Amino acid sequence: MAAVASCGSGAGSTGSAVATASKSNVTSFQRRGPRASGTNDSGPRLVSIAGTRPSVRNGQLLVSTGLPALDQLLGGGLAIGTVLLIEEDKYNIYSPLLFKCFLAEGIVNGHTLLVASAKEDPANILQELPAPLLDDNSKKEFDEDVYNHKTPESNIKMKIAWRYQLLPKMEIGPVSSRFGHYYDASKRIPQELIEASNWHGFFLPEKISSTLKVEPCSLTPGYIKLLQFIQNIISEEGFDGSNPQKKQRNVLRIGIQNLGSPLWGDDICCAENGSNSHSLTKFLYVLRGLLRTSLSACIITMPTHLIQNKAIIARVTNLSDIVIGLESFIGSERETNPLYKDYHGLIHIRQIPRLNNLICDESDVKDLAFKLKRKLFTIERLHLPPDLSDTVSRSSKQDLAESTKRLGPGCGMMAGGKKHLDF
Amino acid sequence: MLDSLLSLGGLVLLRDSVEWEGRSLLKALVKKSALCGEQVHILGCEVSEEEFREGFDSDINNRLVYHDFFRDPLNWSKTEEALPGGPLGALRAICKRTDPGPVTIALDSLSWLLLHLPCTTLCQALHAVSHQDSCPGDSSPVGKVSVLGLLHEELHGPGPVGALSSLAQTEVTLGGTKGQASAHILCRRPRQRPTDQVDPTTHLTFNLHLSKKEREARDSLILPFQFSSEKQQALLRPRPGQATSHIFYEPDAYDDLDQEDPDDDLDI
Repeated sequence: MAAVASCGSGAGSTGSAVATASKSNVTSFQRRGPRASGTNDSGPRLVSIAGTRPSVRNGQLLVSTGLPALDQLLGGGLAIGTVLLIEEDKYNIYSPLLFKCFLAEGIVNGHTLLVASAKEDPANILQELPAPLLDDNSKKEFDEDVYNHKTPESNIKMKIAWRYQLLPKMEIGPVSSRFGHYYDASKRIPQELIEASNWHGFFLPEKISSTLKVEPCSLTPGYIKLLQFIQNIISEEGFDGSNPQKKQRNVLRIGIQNLGSPLWGDDICCAENGSNSHSLTKFLYVLRGLLRTSLSACIITMPTHLIQNKAIIARVTNLSDIVIGLESFIGSERETNPLYKDYHGLIHIRQIPRLNNLICDESDVKDLAFKLKRKLFTIERLHLPPDLSDTVSRSSKQDLAESTKRLGPGCGMMAGGKKHLDF
Repeated sequence: MLDSLLSLGGLVLLRDSVEWEGRSLLKALVKKSALCGEQVHILGCEVSEEEFREGFDSDINNRLVYHDFFRDPLNWSKTEEALPGGPLGALRAICKRTDPGPVTIALDSLSWLLLHLPCTTLCQALHAVSHQDSCPGDSSPVGKVSVLGLLHEELHGPGPVGALSSLAQTEVTLGGTKGQASAHILCRRPRQRPTDQVDPTTHLTFNLHLSKKEREARDSLILPFQFSSEKQQALLRPRPGQATSHIFYEPDAYDDLDQEDPDDDLDI
């Protein structure tokens, strides 16, 4: 693993600044000899940051997105130095949940957060983060007495299971060693975790008080301020390796909400050929430059269904690394389609990056649907319902056959064309 | 229906068209708010003040605070009662008011404002006004703000209409067929917390609860392998050769951590 980690830090390559970028490091091949002297600087050492792990495919350092199901689909997680773009669903119901899971994962792992929004105060966003699921699977079987079940202390007097009284409880502390946690969407994160974390907020109405004159072909003032803010945080807290830290290295998680909406001062959602239609693409370009040279990962949610100029959407997709589109069934005609009745929407993985690679790690499952259960947000492969009964009328079978024509070959082989063949 | 539209607060977008006009619905909502005792401000840009006030009783008319931008929108007559900053300045001035209590602001119409102001500025101003009550820690407790905006759909492209509807809490689209008007209402509620679970032990034909005596009897029952407390302590004390155990469990992809009822997909 040490060799894998140090290979990734060639000059000019993306992300993966795992080994310290010291000036004496000329070659990326390092002797893995015994470190008898216990060196504390000079010479690359395998720095392990909480909540990260190297990818088994290409050696990039990955962080979890907060949803283990999504991590699996993206090849293990989100690579450090990359941008995850989420195209919001039409009524903006499910994309905030993904956004919040990403931030909650940062808090649970002890990463530094940077939350930027033009709509809500970042402090309010942090209050609404979902709570991490406590893992008490092994405790469930032992709790026979209902009174003992309610009290949380570990030294309570257990009546039947008294042998397990002194067993240490499993908890998720402020910094967890696991990669990828499950979150309970119906509960809020405990206040102590938020207070123990290090976060920075950027709320646009506070930073910009008056409207400034904008020259054409430049960034809107909101974007300029946000880029300056991000750059300040990165350089002050040393995420780009500028001041060699003696203390533990950490990852910066950046979350930007509703980028491109009119509340940021950008008019790509209002007009097809606005005065500064290149503002958003320039912002993404500069942001990616900032991310590639620092230990940070970014999530952006964007209301792409409002963007009037389709060329801008294509450019935005090219400028981001991972692009995921959410399509919810609310209000559309798919809501009544029996194929989709168990799910709340579809997830489209539109782009996966090629980082230091010639091929990208795409999964062969292309038909994915998501469902927000009472507590968990799950992503599953879309299955055709089993064709059990003979009394199902032909017309409904035709409908299913029609809708499966759009699905990829990874789905069941049942209905391939318009005609339903009986054997 | 009018109550439900006003109860959520935030921006209420009334989309009308040439065939189904929405000003009467706007006036009905204004009348309802005035009767509820709220402060009502009207930014009149499209029709004259007399025409807007037509149809209201005198007591309602006395309660309405009318800001007139129809007669002299560019302030050419330079009178003192003209408000600085145009309609947006008036909106911000209403924002800065210090007296608590719910406020309703009626914008007649958003189409006029969209034609005179850049869309982004208008969106930012509307967001600032309608979300003023949701920021905690303010010095003055501000009441709920409702902003009623009348938008003529046919005057604008899909861009501004989409941008405004994404900001709106409630959207009412007026339509209809053959002389019968209908309104299609779309509410974006912030995601509600799930309500507490209904207690399943009510309304049963058998008794699941324990009386006090039964509970005492149950507690005093001696169970097998339930030793006296001295023996328990003796067994629990870690022996000298025994190390304390730590459990580190990391569930992998096959573990189902969903504690929901696994049978909830049964179709009974």
